[in-house]
Amino acid sequence: MRCRGVKRAGSVAEAYTNAKVGVVQLVTDGHYRAKVVLALGVVVAIGVVALARAHLRTDRMQERLLAALPDAVAADPALVRFAVAEAKPLYARHCAACHGADLHGNAQLGAPDLTDDVWLYGDGSLYDIERTILYGARAGVSSTHDEAEMPAFGLRGVLSDSQVRSVVQYVLQLSGRPYQVEAANDGRALYFGVANCGDCHGPDARGNNDYGAPDLTRNVWSNGGDPQSLYASIYGGRHRIMPAWRGTLSLEQIRALATYVYAVSHPPDGQAGTPGGAT
Amino acid sequence: MNLRHPLLLPVAAIIVGLALAGVGLFRAAPLPLAAVPPGYVALVNQKGLLMSDFIAQTQVETSRSFAESTPAERSKVLREMIDEELLVQRALVLDLPETTNEVRGSLVSAVNAQVAAPILAYVPSDAELRAYYEKYRQNYTGPGSMNLHDLVLHIGGFENADQSPTQALADATEAVYQLRSGASLTYVMEHFGFVNSGRMDDTEQLDFAVKLHLGDKLYKTAAQMRDGEVSDPIPDTDGMHILVMVRHEFPKVVDFSAVRDRVYLDFRAAASSRVTQENLNLLRSQAQVLLAPGQSE
Repeated sequence: MRCRGVKRAGSVAEAYTNAKVGVVQLVTDGHYRAKVVLALGVVVAIGVVALARAHLRTDRMQERLLAALPDAVAADPALVRFAVAEAKPLYARHCAACHGADLHGNAQLGAPDLTDDVWLYGDGSLYDIERTILYGARAGVSSTHDEAEMPAFGLRGVLSDSQVRSVVQYVLQLSGRPYQVEAANDGRALYFGVANCGDCHGPDARGNNDYGAPDLTRNVWSNGGDPQSLYASIYGGRHRIMPAWRGTLSLEQIRALATYVYAVSHPPDGQAGTPGGAT
Repeated sequence: MNLRHPLLLPVAAIIVGLALAGVGLFRAAPLPLAAVPPGYVALVNQKGLLMSDFIAQTQVETSRSFAESTPAERSKVLREMIDEELLVQRALVLDLPETTNEVRGSLVSAVNAQVAAPILAYVPSDAELRAYYEKYRQNYTGPGSMNLHDLVLHIGGFENADQSPTQALADATEAVYQLRSGASLTYVMEHFGFVNSGRMDDTEQLDFAVKLHLGDKLYKTAAQMRDGEVSDPIPDTDGMHILVMVRHEFPKVVDFSAVRDRVYLDFRAAASSRVTQENLNLLRSQAQVLLAPGQSE
């Protein structure tokens, strides 16, 4: 056994040495080496040309993406595909922390779901989405969305604790969910009375996209729609912030992100709500 | 060509490196843009005007969608935007932030607003508001009011033309003594030659109005007086004054529930101030500020 073992080890070492010598001989052979260098050169050249071509194509698409008016971008499937591909890593880096990796928002942060067709500001056109990304909401710049904020009715003493609870019941009624009739009636009186909610949310409670006042009848909530969250919104108010990305991201990046959000919320089959639809 | 020469590759690398460095060093500066880049509607002295801003401005001015605006309307808006940009650029050339207080004020406000914007998203709890109220409860007082007589003994006036300040002070001191002893106001005024100063009109007035009418010096004394109290003589520009307090309603701290709206606003204002101050501290930590000899801040 011992002898066989030694013999086997000797064979492997021998084979290895022979192979090594062969390779060294091939490499040191001038003719063969020139061929290898030439082949490598051709491969590198092809790679460089392919990279340059891809880069030029990207440049051209970026230029097209920005040169077109927003609505025209939305109508061009090739541009939308390009923008979505460009935007995904940007979204992951800059937006997902608040709006979620799946774009469905975060009620804790008051970050809206970007996949549905409900919009706080504007009507969901690519132009409106881009404006929001450019200048944000309450971002401390003059072009930002800062027309109104949800007042802190309870904290400021406008409504008592029980009155806030009554308004919550009325909002539950408005959004088509089970509610307490008597409290909702009181809440309705407050809605049109001392709280004057209709000033922003409208007498029909369908909201106002100029003010960023949500439609209370759709049952879609950025800050949570359960009674406890509604109570917190009415009692403590909301002053949600979205940063202005102009200056941080390039115009092309902002256009790409706006197109991505537009594509996700306006899928071809009309079924908003699935980010996968934009891929 | 002997590719096996040991110095060949290093020499080639050095030559390529030097050539690249030479190109970098002696290449002309980038040419100014000759065409408007995509995403912009115009270039004004190489400064771009955003297409998005142009669309927004057009919609604001025409109250219609951009697609519905006419070429003439768009041209007008664009002309206005270019004019504005030119003037802004001119302002920078003229260094208006250096010389014009309004511009400086606007810049300061804009920076502070930007810094404070995120902090306003914070919703305080009731407990935090109450703690803030307790800490600054002296700020939440209702206005006080008072009704008082302000008598003055003119010095050098037609009735006391020959009276010296020292004599006036002695008379006033005696008048105060008699008033505090129960003498009537009418008697003291007639006996010593005091007249009503005319600053108060014998009605109850809020503290700020009293301060306005009496002036800071007399108000300082009046603010401490209780009902029926007579002040010591107070010399002022027009003579020797005596204040007689009829009724004084001192300012009262208002209950939290009555001022919670103010407390809420103050809480937020304080948070903004705090964060703008922190921003200033940061800027100072990164800045080089040199003071001239003998100066301090």
